[in-house]
Order: sequence, then structure tokens, then C-alpha cells
Amino acid sequence: MKTRLAILILVVLLALLPAYAGKYALYVAIHILLLSIFSLGFNLLFGYTGLLSFGQAGFYAVGAYGCAKILLTYPSLLVGIVGGVVIAGAVSLLLGFLCIRHTRIYFSMLTLSFGMMIFSLAWKWRDMTGGDDGLVGIPRAPLEIPGLFKINMAPMENYYYVVLAFAILAIYLFHRIVHSPMGLAMQGIRDSETRTACIGISVRKYRLLSFTIAGVYAGLAGALLPPLESTVTPPLAHWSHSAEPVLATLLGGVYSFSGPIVGSVLFYLLKDIIVRFTEYWQMCLGIIVVVLVIGFRGGVVSIFSRKGGRR
Amino acid sequence: MKAILRTESLGKYFGHMAAVHEVNLTLQEGLFTSVIGPNGAGKTTLINLLSGYMLPDRGKIYFREKEITRLGPDKRVKMGISRSFQVMNIFPRMTVFQNILLPVLSRLNKTSSAFSSQQSQKEAVGEAEKILGEVWLQEEKDSPGGELSHGDQRLLELGIAVATNPQLCFLDEPSSGMNPIERIKVLELVKKLASERKTTFIIVEHDMDIVFSLSDWIVVMNRGEVLAEGKPGDIRENQVVRDIYLGEEI
Repeated sequence: MKTRLAILILVVLLALLPAYAGKYALYVAIHILLLSIFSLGFNLLFGYTGLLSFGQAGFYAVGAYGCAKILLTYPSLLVGIVGGVVIAGAVSLLLGFLCIRHTRIYFSMLTLSFGMMIFSLAWKWRDMTGGDDGLVGIPRAPLEIPGLFKINMAPMENYYYVVLAFAILAIYLFHRIVHSPMGLAMQGIRDSETRTACIGISVRKYRLLSFTIAGVYAGLAGALLPPLESTVTPPLAHWSHSAEPVLATLLGGVYSFSGPIVGSVLFYLLKDIIVRFTEYWQMCLGIIVVVLVIGFRGGVVSIFSRKGGRR
Repeated sequence: MKAILRTESLGKYFGHMAAVHEVNLTLQEGLFTSVIGPNGAGKTTLINLLSGYMLPDRGKIYFREKEITRLGPDKRVKMGISRSFQVMNIFPRMTVFQNILLPVLSRLNKTSSAFSSQQSQKEAVGEAEKILGEVWLQEEKDSPGGELSHGDQRLLELGIAVATNPQLCFLDEPSSGMNPIERIKVLELVKKLASERKTTFIIVEHDMDIVFSLSDWIVVMNRGEVLAEGKPGDIRENQVVRDIYLGEEI
């Protein structure tokens, strides 16, 4: 009951944010929401299925480029976002077939390789992606369902509400998935692949499902980016971008539902604050992550949970 | 008595070493069967082959006269074959209840459900509760599996193995690491589950007193081959088995 009340208060505060926060705060809030969606998907793979992917930025970029291409030819926000997500989901399903046959370091290296292949495509396939210039001038098209409604997305506040709505939906669906029988099967694979296979569960099937859902989440986060920034560039697919959900999840807590969300808030705010004082912000952030990982293996969330952090 | 599982010239080789060689075995339904033999005899490899955890290099395996030689473990479980492991193999981060619920959900083909809650699966939840009672872990249901004592983890693994409601269940040293009293309790529980659930159990066990008191049938392995098989009395009297494995005191 307390948790539900806390969630309700948080949602109300987020809904009221445009009333008391400036444009920059909204911009930061949108980025935090995007990183939260990105990290949640990553954690379905890592925290719930036991697969560490270093290639999620590839799917993020596919979602972003997919949405951008659609918006540049057919300016409808909903079509752009849904289209980006579908393309990212299809690509993750395809690459998933190849990746999930392997585990541990082999899986991680495969995802890293495929992620960097997508990065190379974004860099070299100039006709489609704009090469190193990326795609520019992407419109923040109106949100419309012809004949029903049409909302202008030019004001940042309006777009913030769209991102917030997608984030709440993504978090809700994620909660349903991880507490469902399918989520339990994925946790079984994380704990013991052999035991899971020996109770009649197809390990590959659920690994592929987890991989695809994680790709869809990465694609959603990516698809929500172009209307905000009006541009997409190849570094979105770079492996260093794949490290962001890894770090955010480690900061917040791998084995807790809210860990990636809390970690995303912390990661973005720390980055935003540290970068104002030093150009060596990555080193400072690295030290903080090292301290947290060594001192609180369950992440920040575990400090506040009943069982404490040293587990 | 019907044959539940049969092998023909089954073999598994690691380089030049024959872990299992030319094994022709027929396991009878309803007989409590023990597989015994010295360390390295090939007992665990045999169970790995029969449960689908490993694929054989030669030979065939039939379950109720249907060939299953190349089937993976998940498909064999769906046909009614289950197992436990020599080295503890549970879901350590999941609660004891979830450890049992997952195989029950698997048996009921409910694991594809992505948006319903685990607790809303009433049939599976009820069955998992019943199995927890059967393996004496009702009071531990909310503890993480990995935090149980060694003996309780062994019970949990037994619970996981029977939760798929198998017709044939292999238990690889189900009482290893337990004291003699716990061993007798666990193996008597296995015997009880065998009669109540109509499951045919095949166990690998090193405690010869228990093996000879509980088994209906004994298979003796040595160097990857079946050295002898028969009723406990016959095995006890078998001079070759005594020379190689049992010694004179059994």
C-alpha cells in the first residue's frame, strides 16, 4: 500500500513538473526517462536472464534512425515512434537468433560485435543514415490520430508528456513481465540454465524473448530521442553508449525492479553535475561506480531495502 | 511389469576414454532401481545420457518404446522424464516457493504467459504448495533457495524434480553431504513419493546399506559398462561384484 502511494505521488509530481520546472529541467527529465527505459530493457537481459549485453546501443540507434527516417518522410509522431520500435524489435529478433546460442563472455562479445556493426553501418551507409553528419532537421511532428485528435508537439512540455506516458507504460509492462510466469522462467535461466532445461523449459526460447524485449525497450528509448534533439548521429550506436545502461543498472541495483530507474536518475544527475566542474567527468563517475559496486553490490536501492547492501 | 526405458549399445566417449560403453539396459516401471559402482564407473554420465543432458556418441535410447536418443532435456521432461543433479542445482536467488512453482508452471505449459501474475495461476500455486508440504519445506517457502541448509537444499532439489510430475525420475546422489540419519529420512521420502506419485525412481547412491535396504533392482557399473544387474540378494551374492566393488563385508 505504501509503495503504491509513493508511486502515485511520484507520478503526480512528474505530471506537474512542467508547472514548476524550466525547459532545461524538462530536457533533463526526458533524458532520464529515456535512460530509464533503456536500462530497464537492459536489465531484463542482465538482472533477470543473466545475459550481459554490450550491444544495446545498436538497437537504441536502430530505433532512433528508424523513427527519424519515418518522421522525415511522414511527419506523424506516433507513426515515427511505433515504426522505430518495430524496426528495432525486428532487428533484435534477427540478431537474437545468432546471439542467444552462446552465453557468458561469448554472448557479450557477440552483442558488442553486432552493436559495432550497426555503428559502422550508421557511419558508412551515407545514403540511408547521413554518414558522420547523421540525420538532421527531424521534425517534432504533431501527435495525431486522423479524425480523432491532433496535438502540437512544438512546446517542450507537450513532448515531455508524451515521453512520460510512454515511460509509464513501459515501466508498467515491465513490472507485469517480470512478475509473470514468463519472468519467472527468465529468472530460472539466470539462476541455472541446466536446471531450467531439466524442468522442461526451452532455454533458447526464453533467452530470445528476453533479448527481443530488451531490444524493443532500447528501440523505444531511441525512437523517443529524434523528436527531442532533431538530429541523430552514429555515436548513438557506439559501444560506449551501451555502457550507460550497464552503469546505471549497477548504480541502482541489478536484482531489484526499481534499480535501473533509480540508477538512471543518479547516473544522469551525477554526469550533469560533475561535467560542470571537470572535463574528467568520466573518471569521477567511474570512481563513484567502483565504490558503489565494491561497497554496495546490490546497488543504491539495496541500501534502502531491509536486507542491506552487502549481499 | 513394463519396460519404461531401454537402451541399445549406448556409448559416450571422451577422447580414448569410454565413460559409457555398450550399455544395454532395460529399466522396469515401478521398480525402485539403484545404480551403483566405484567412482568413475560412468554412473553420472549414464544419467546425463538418459536425461538428455548429454547426447550419446552411439547407441539408442527408448522411453516407452519411443526413441528419444537425440531429444534435449526440456523435451524429455515434457514426455515425463525428470532428474536431480549430483552437484546441487537449484534456483538460489528465487524463493523456495518459486523454485517449486516454476517446474509446475512448466508442466502446465503456463510459462509463456507474459502479463498475468504468478500468484494468479491458482492451479499451479495450489500444486506447488502441496509439493512443498510433501518435501517438508512449507515453513521455508519465502526464503531464498540459496539460503537453505545443505539438507534442505537437497530436499528442495527433490521437490523440483518431482514438481514436473515425472513418470521416470533420476536422482544423482540425492543424499550426498548429509549425515546418516538425514540420508535414511531422505531416501525413505523418495520411496514414499515413488508409491504415492506412481513415479519410477532411478537413484545413484554410495551408501550400500541404504541401497540394499530400499532397492528393488540394482545395476552395477564399472569402467563405463554394466557389470551386473539384479535383485539386491543376487547382487550381494555376485562374486564379480564383490571382488570389484562391494568387498566381502556386504
